[in-house]
Amino acid sequence: MSQLRTVKSGRKPTSPYARKTFAGNLLFLLPTVLLFAFVVLVPFFQGIPYSFTNWKSIVSTQFSFNGLANYRYLLGNKFFLMSLGVTFRFMLLYMLGSNLMGFFLALLLRRTSAFNNFSRTVFFLPFTVSVTAAAIVWSYVFTDVYGTITKLVSPLGLESQIVNAMVMIGSWRDMGYTMLIYLAAMQTISKDYYEAASIEGANTFKQFTKITLPMIVPAFTANITITLAWGLRSFDLPMVVSLTKRAGQTTAVYVYQSIFANNNAGLGQAAAIILTLILIVLTQAVTYTLRRIEVEL
Amino acid sequence: MQKIISGSNIAAGQHHRIIKNVVRVIGILLLMVIVLLPFYVAILYAFKPVNEVSANRLAFPRVPTLNNFYEVIFKNQQFLSGIKNSVLNTIPTVFILILFTSMASWVLARFNTKFYRIMYAVLTLGLLIPFQCYILPLYVNFFELGLVSSNLGFIIARSGLQISISLVAVTGFVKTVPRELEEAGNIDGCNRFETFWRIVFPLMTPINITQLVLNTVFIWNDYSTAIILLRTKESQTLTLAQITYFNENTAMLNHAFAFFILAMLPILVLYLSLQRYIISGITAGAVKG
Repeated sequence: MSQLRTVKSGRKPTSPYARKTFAGNLLFLLPTVLLFAFVVLVPFFQGIPYSFTNWKSIVSTQFSFNGLANYRYLLGNKFFLMSLGVTFRFMLLYMLGSNLMGFFLALLLRRTSAFNNFSRTVFFLPFTVSVTAAAIVWSYVFTDVYGTITKLVSPLGLESQIVNAMVMIGSWRDMGYTMLIYLAAMQTISKDYYEAASIEGANTFKQFTKITLPMIVPAFTANITITLAWGLRSFDLPMVVSLTKRAGQTTAVYVYQSIFANNNAGLGQAAAIILTLILIVLTQAVTYTLRRIEVEL
Repeated sequence: MQKIISGSNIAAGQHHRIIKNVVRVIGILLLMVIVLLPFYVAILYAFKPVNEVSANRLAFPRVPTLNNFYEVIFKNQQFLSGIKNSVLNTIPTVFILILFTSMASWVLARFNTKFYRIMYAVLTLGLLIPFQCYILPLYVNFFELGLVSSNLGFIIARSGLQISISLVAVTGFVKTVPRELEEAGNIDGCNRFETFWRIVFPLMTPINITQLVLNTVFIWNDYSTAIILLRTKESQTLTLAQITYFNENTAMLNHAFAFFILAMLPILVLYLSLQRYIISGITAGAVKG
């Protein structure tokens, strides 16, 4: 391998065979690269300069550059900062909710039996339905079931409760996903560890903290990273339950509203860039930290 | 193992274990009730006749009716165009993804020099960049090319958006497939394309079925791409059309809920019949779209 690299570092492979292989590889990669560039990469780079313009309505393409004005405006704008607050609160509570519930379910269902398999099927079911329809149905669960039992107003109708209600719906949907990841990790732990621990006289709690928890740390990393990203991007759910309610508007919805509803395309693009920066920095930092913890264990 | 725990006191241990198990099962059943509550509410409304919609909210309708489903299936224009668009959009998207990503993944899994590692890093950037960051340029580009509000536009956008996620899963799988078979193919005089189609692609069947099922679920349920690119009623997919219909006909709750149930039915059938592929795909590191 290292030999190969020293040869290659000089110049590109020139033997006819190597050249043919390389050309073949490019042909195999080409469709994917073209499609990805067209839909994701090119628009991503195009979007950056748009964030420095006063572009208003997307119907016209008339705009001029206004430097950092959009960013300066956003960082002092009450509604944008509020949307960041909503996004973070939702992300944190949703990450906690979907992971705690998923982990708890995995613990309950970790042994393989007909009943447990059936239960797993049921708990994963919400993940396969569209979030948007589910959110509407949930709004009726809140008024009809929750409202009838507790005689309280639906939390989706209360400014102070709307994020919590969204967290409930989000966790309901995604706890089946985290459950599957935790289950997969738990099933890789050899039974020998538990048997040895029992012989040594370790009780269930000790076995849980000394065997189960350390062995499934990679599953925590995977689940926390993914729910962090999903939480920060949250769009479908707030689009349906709180499109017009500021108290439940996430930054992703703020971006959509600025571009497509409020004729503030340049501003929306700047908000999107801020959200992207936060997302990249946070997910990288969290992944890095969790990997470090994994190594130390 | 249980015997070792309970030691000499086997009978008491077993007694204890049975109680623990009963508590566990009751707990699970209670959780199931909560998890299934939205489904119950949706079914309830969907079977209600018009005059019972706002009456006795929690009980099953006295005279359950299939009329709502009939009305939606045969008389609702939004449902009809929605299901047509969903089918016409989902099937090509899923097959494009299988074809493109299995070809690219083969190269990315088998070659490990700097060029291919950079390629892989770039193609999986989609996992990191949120969709919101490029909806504006994407919409403007597609508008200029006449791809907004069209099936073709949705297919292109949705498959492009799914590439990163699929690529991670498929490349990971190909790395576990031994190369010996391909090398045998080379010796037999197959060229690269023949090796791929005759030997590698068939070996990728398990991951491709997983991708087929998972991507169908994600693309059928897609809302964020649809709401940005499908700006006319005629072009809306079922997932988008059901929300539009609900927002415009809040009084016709029974129809809206029948619509919801019909929209999720294909995916429900797919999930219940091909569950193990979904589960293996999720646990192998595939993520949602």
